[in-house]
Amino acid sequence: MNAQEAKAVQERQLVVFQLGGETYGVDINWVHEIIRMQAITRLPRTPHFIEGVINLRGRIIPVIDLRKRFGLPLGEETQNSRIMVVELAGVTVGMIVDAVSEVLRLPAESIEPPPPVMQGIDTAYLQGVGKWEERLVILLDLERVLYRGEQEQLRETVAAETAAGT
Amino acid sequence: MAGAELSQYLGVFLDETEEQLRLMDENLILLEQHPDDLELLHHVFRAAHTVKGAAASLGLERITRLTHALEGVLDELRHGRLSVGRPVIDVLLRCLDALRELKEEVASGKPATVDLAGLVEELNALRETPAEAATPAVTPAGALELNEVERHLVEAAQVKGLRVWHLRITLDEGCLMKAARAYLVYKNLEDLGEIIKTVPPVEDLEAERFGLTFSLVLITREDADVVASVAKATSEIAAVEVEPVTGETATTGEAKTAAPGKAAAVEKEAGRATGETRATGNTRAGQTVRVDVQRLDNLLNLVGELVIDRTRLAEVEANLRGKMSGQTDLETLEEISVHIGRITGELQEEIMKARMFPIEQVFNRFPRMVRDLAQKAGKEVDFLIEGRETELDRTVIEEIGDPLIHLLRNAIDHGIEPPEERERLGKPRRGTVALKAYHQENQIIITVSDDGQGMDAQLIRQQAVARGLISAEQAARMSERESLNLVFLPGFSTAENVTDVSGRGVGMDIVRSHLEKINGTIEIATAPGRGTTFTIKLPLTLAINRSLLVKAAGLILAFPLGNVVEIIEVARDQIQYVHRQEVALVRGEVLPLFSLADTLGLAGRQEEERERLPVVVAAVSERRVGFIVDTLIGEQEIVIKALGGYVGNIPGLAGATIMGDGSVALILDVRGLLAQVNGGGQGLKSA
Repeated sequence: MNAQEAKAVQERQLVVFQLGGETYGVDINWVHEIIRMQAITRLPRTPHFIEGVINLRGRIIPVIDLRKRFGLPLGEETQNSRIMVVELAGVTVGMIVDAVSEVLRLPAESIEPPPPVMQGIDTAYLQGVGKWEERLVILLDLERVLYRGEQEQLRETVAAETAAGT
Repeated sequence: MAGAELSQYLGVFLDETEEQLRLMDENLILLEQHPDDLELLHHVFRAAHTVKGAAASLGLERITRLTHALEGVLDELRHGRLSVGRPVIDVLLRCLDALRELKEEVASGKPATVDLAGLVEELNALRETPAEAATPAVTPAGALELNEVERHLVEAAQVKGLRVWHLRITLDEGCLMKAARAYLVYKNLEDLGEIIKTVPPVEDLEAERFGLTFSLVLITREDADVVASVAKATSEIAAVEVEPVTGETATTGEAKTAAPGKAAAVEKEAGRATGETRATGNTRAGQTVRVDVQRLDNLLNLVGELVIDRTRLAEVEANLRGKMSGQTDLETLEEISVHIGRITGELQEEIMKARMFPIEQVFNRFPRMVRDLAQKAGKEVDFLIEGRETELDRTVIEEIGDPLIHLLRNAIDHGIEPPEERERLGKPRRGTVALKAYHQENQIIITVSDDGQGMDAQLIRQQAVARGLISAEQAARMSERESLNLVFLPGFSTAENVTDVSGRGVGMDIVRSHLEKINGTIEIATAPGRGTTFTIKLPLTLAINRSLLVKAAGLILAFPLGNVVEIIEVARDQIQYVHRQEVALVRGEVLPLFSLADTLGLAGRQEEERERLPVVVAAVSERRVGFIVDTLIGEQEIVIKALGGYVGNIPGLAGATIMGDGSVALILDVRGLLAQVNGGGQGLKSA
């Protein structure tokens, strides 16, 4: 996140969730809703981290497994597992997380740029790290989470096909 | 005014103008064929007037100027000071083209290259050309005088969407009880609505103070045919003429009254024209609302959810019944569940209907196009349209236009012979091209036929060989039907000379791929020397589809029923290998077999040793392939939903659907599947 933005936003509201023992946060503006785990229909020929699709009140939405996305060791589905439904630029996607804990208000100045190296997760997905009381909240860059790397290719094929289709 | 607001008005203006221009186009073409039909002229005039008003209110000066000049000419026509003929129609049509371009300019900002001054001048020049004095092709309009009160009634009725008819009733010459007949007619018509005027007045009718003809003005919901037939129901009626009374008619009447010495215009007009009224179907007034299609789509989605919840509610209720039967609350719940079920069903049906459009939306632009194409090609063509009212889902309507344009072009260009040649062949000089649409079971059938030269299978084969599309041996083995279908191959064209309109080597392949996109099929029937008919079959809707549900790799998958030829069982020991490709012999034909799970790239195929394998024989066009599945589930209507932008297009999948229990099933795209097994280097073509 750049300096200007940081100044403009005095306070950020984050949805905080757990994944592989770490605490993550996503800007609340992107989060559509949080639902319990449900049966996911696999999709063929998609990147490995796309778990499949679910029926969200009549809409079909894709679900990605954030552990797979970040290359974390796979976990068990528990009572606390949730699908966090996010919406970015008109695209709705579900993300599987270990647990959703709370909504947090963080003053902008307590958020720092991501350290160059962090354990466990590729820093390219991060927007910054927030400090709150004694805890560290890792802020995700949703755009990158959804579209980086393999997704880039995927997006290109989609674009190419859409173009060809018109 | 806020920019957003203005642009909203602009959107409405653009929509409306497009519609009005189409209406004018259509009616002008009809007018060319029926120069005496004043009603057509009224339609054109009214449309021009609407456009002018709307353009003026938005300050679109050039459109206003042009429509104003256009109106001037139309007015001359209406008053018979100018007669309808090819030159006039030509100029008017060119004006419409210019208006369309100007409208485009407003929409897209692309500057229009319209010679406005030239056109206006041409229009004004027309006005100075007097009608051929002796026989005015158009008799003066109106011929009906309404006083202020009556005019007011007419306007009020029109606002309410009612129709106003002017009936002229002529009794048999030998009629003995004229007053009684007139009374009966009056009485019967009064049952249909309100009679606001009679000529002569009612007292005179009762006193039998009139000749053989009397007329009346009726405000009603019914259309001209109904009104005419009711009027004719009385005996000793010689003729009934029904004409619409419009705001313009009324005004004209007023103008007439102002003009001295025109009092008895009604009487003078007797005996003109025929008693026929043509129901143009465009008179449908008011009572409609414009709705964004997106909103309709959303509604359908919401109803889809309701349908699913209805199923779940019924399930819960059934569960409860087992646990706590006899409780009154449960009975109430049962009642509610049934009621919700019924209402949901009706709601679904209504919304499906709301998404349906009559195909005339597409058809209406064709008469003009056919006229222009025929003129360009030097052909003389009568164009028939049937079944304009046939309704289709909007998604289908959007896609069907282009293929039909192509087929019509081909019919005019390659089907219909030049007039001289037709005469030499002993055919009528004018060729006929017909476009028909109708329902048949769960499908829409559209045919495009011509009475031209037909297609020559032999010639088509030669052409295909010459273009390297097939080998000479293949050609020799082909049946008539297969040969005809060669025209659907990319790169095929029989046009020896490339004309402006078609014969560019692209065409039929595009027609077919367009149609396949909307799950349609096309067939050719032809008789050399007698003509060709293309028959298109389309599903009623794209949103709901009949499917065959199967299970493979643990997933529920849906084959669109249109692509399923049959379901067979193949015993494991019947499977043979050709070029390492699994095939089975089905009724003497070689059928390539593929595992559905493998084709889709789904892991987890059960390798259990089953003796007999269920196989879905799927086809696109002429190609047939068998897909081995785990189990067959059955047929079901499904609502098609997109997979969404994030995962994009997955080869072999057309989308997903939600089953009764809320789970998701994937819908197969058989074309995509076939492309995949083809792309896999399998020697299918040799099979």
